[in-house]
Amino acid sequence: MKNIFYVGLAQSFFKRNAASLSESAVTQHPIETSKEAGEKSGSKQKNGDESGNTVVVAPPEFRFMYPEFLPDPTMERRNKLKEKLERMDMLQRRSIIEIPEFYTGSIMAVTVADSNSPNKFACFVGICIQRGGSGLQAWFILRNVVDRQGVEILYEMYCPLIQKIEVLRLERRLDESLLYLRDALPEYSTFPFEMEAERRLNNSVVPINPIKVKLRPRPWLERWERQNLQGVENLNLPQRYYDRAKEVAKPWEKYDLMLQYRKTIPAEEQEKIYAEVHSQLQQQDLKRKIKRRRGPSSEQ
Amino acid sequence: MSTLQSLNRSPFLLGFLFNHEQVRNMSRVKRRNTHPGYWLPLKNVQKKDDKISADNLRFVREVIQDKYKNKSPLKGSELQIEKTEWDPKTKRSGVIARNIGRQQMWDKDGNKIVCTVLHVLDNHVIRYIPPEEYVKTSRGAIHFKNKTPLGCLVVGAEATNPEKFTRQYCNLFSEVGLLPKKTLSRFIITPNAALPPCTPITAGHFLVGQAVDVYGKTVDHGFQGVVKRWGFKGGPASHGATKFHRRGGTIGTGRDKARVWPGTKMPGHMGSERRYNRGLMIMRINMKYNVIYVKGTVPGATNSIVRIFDTLLPLRKLKEAPPHPTYFPPEDGTQKEEDIWDSSLHVYGSPSISV
Repeated sequence: MKNIFYVGLAQSFFKRNAASLSESAVTQHPIETSKEAGEKSGSKQKNGDESGNTVVVAPPEFRFMYPEFLPDPTMERRNKLKEKLERMDMLQRRSIIEIPEFYTGSIMAVTVADSNSPNKFACFVGICIQRGGSGLQAWFILRNVVDRQGVEILYEMYCPLIQKIEVLRLERRLDESLLYLRDALPEYSTFPFEMEAERRLNNSVVPINPIKVKLRPRPWLERWERQNLQGVENLNLPQRYYDRAKEVAKPWEKYDLMLQYRKTIPAEEQEKIYAEVHSQLQQQDLKRKIKRRRGPSSEQ
Repeated sequence: MSTLQSLNRSPFLLGFLFNHEQVRNMSRVKRRNTHPGYWLPLKNVQKKDDKISADNLRFVREVIQDKYKNKSPLKGSELQIEKTEWDPKTKRSGVIARNIGRQQMWDKDGNKIVCTVLHVLDNHVIRYIPPEEYVKTSRGAIHFKNKTPLGCLVVGAEATNPEKFTRQYCNLFSEVGLLPKKTLSRFIITPNAALPPCTPITAGHFLVGQAVDVYGKTVDHGFQGVVKRWGFKGGPASHGATKFHRRGGTIGTGRDKARVWPGTKMPGHMGSERRYNRGLMIMRINMKYNVIYVKGTVPGATNSIVRIFDTLLPLRKLKEAPPHPTYFPPEDGTQKEEDIWDSSLHVYGSPSISV
């Protein structure tokens, strides 16, 4: 129905449909993001501890696949018992509905129960521009352009009104937050509602889409030149904007260890948390895979 | 902490009864003082004895272990509790809990409900003071002046290492055979709700769907200005305003009385006040972890101690009998459900809501 055209897509992105795509071609990217830890193995890693007993440790990519299991790092509000109870509730909800792995930049379709819709279910397709929240408050925002009007919807991942969350295209972008799409040309946020799920060629690596988005001329909603965005084309602003950005910048923050410490959960705690939920998540994943395999075969 | 006293101080009642041009009542009320509350036990912290040798310290620890070794929570049948009936005029004991945070839940229509999670600590009854005795105490005399006297139940929570406290404080508990507790609280009860010492009180003391009052100390905001403390509007941010953005402005007229009236709203300490949040409904109880989910918010910051008891609001009071005088798990092993939800809530393990 709608014309799909992705302006400025890199060649490597289209190459993923070719059978000859190798893992190395995707990972050799000129980006510093250390999130390329999304390496192989969804299998358990068993490390032996000193007494010789095996200790189950969740795979390291869990902290990217399930970031909402980590609590809010603000120390004044943390309580281990409450976090544990919340995780139990989250796993209960996940046993009913599949909340897949997704990142900012992935295109998703969400079906929600809606009393005002003709068939009682409302479906929305869009690109995930931001995700946040921890625990049961985890949310993500989907953006699409419908009839030349930009529409964004915030979904709470654990809301029981949500019937289905499907990732149509699993990929990442060069930035963690794609709020600049609001000031970009509309074709970068347009996705057809009839879009079908694309099959991933290489399950172990999540591709990064190196697209550089073109922004509309100023005025903008935010001062994008101050935000070190990797995913936008050259902004072509007068030099005074960049000078002022430099004056206002805080280059010392990247050396501030305590700032980073206060914003994150320590690695040891992360391991413990994921080790706790790991086996249940794996079981749920397995059950769904079996169901999927049985599904088409039972139809035959 | 009687309800009538707090109702007397409520701005709503005073504003209704007295016709002031400016309602200064909350600012006239003396909201805090620096001396500790009458109910707080006297200094019970044991000074560290650095001269004690390592061997002696080990011996002291062995003695403590021996003394408290054989204490285990009592079962319902072991306690000599008189069979008393619950009636709507009964006042039951309350419970000491810790506010461990907020969690959201959804109801069956898909509406979000924010609940405060309260962790009922290891409450044990320390002592019961019958009405005749309690009236003779200084506090009891004030409380029950011109009223029928009621009993007082002393409940403690958070057992800690006896090394931290003085001998006199530990003796309060060792008489009943308990490890010394960090927090103590008094609950005013009718004699038919009396409990013997060493009775454990758990989350099952309450019913899902009942209303409770939660008493705690509000968040301490420290020294705050007039805009945050009293809600003043301050001044314009621009248009030439010289150094007048968050100030109070005038503090009185020149003519009348020719002075600043007592109770004039000014910057000062804000928060850290003892308040009740009344009529909060219990949405969910987890018996295994002793956790109560209460709809709404509770005074105080996360991880602070609060007291919970049956509500005094007349329209939300209990109509059917709760576990009286408290809840005891059935001894024949038939446990009540571990996680009890209110009927209006959507349980997380159940299928998605379809409208």
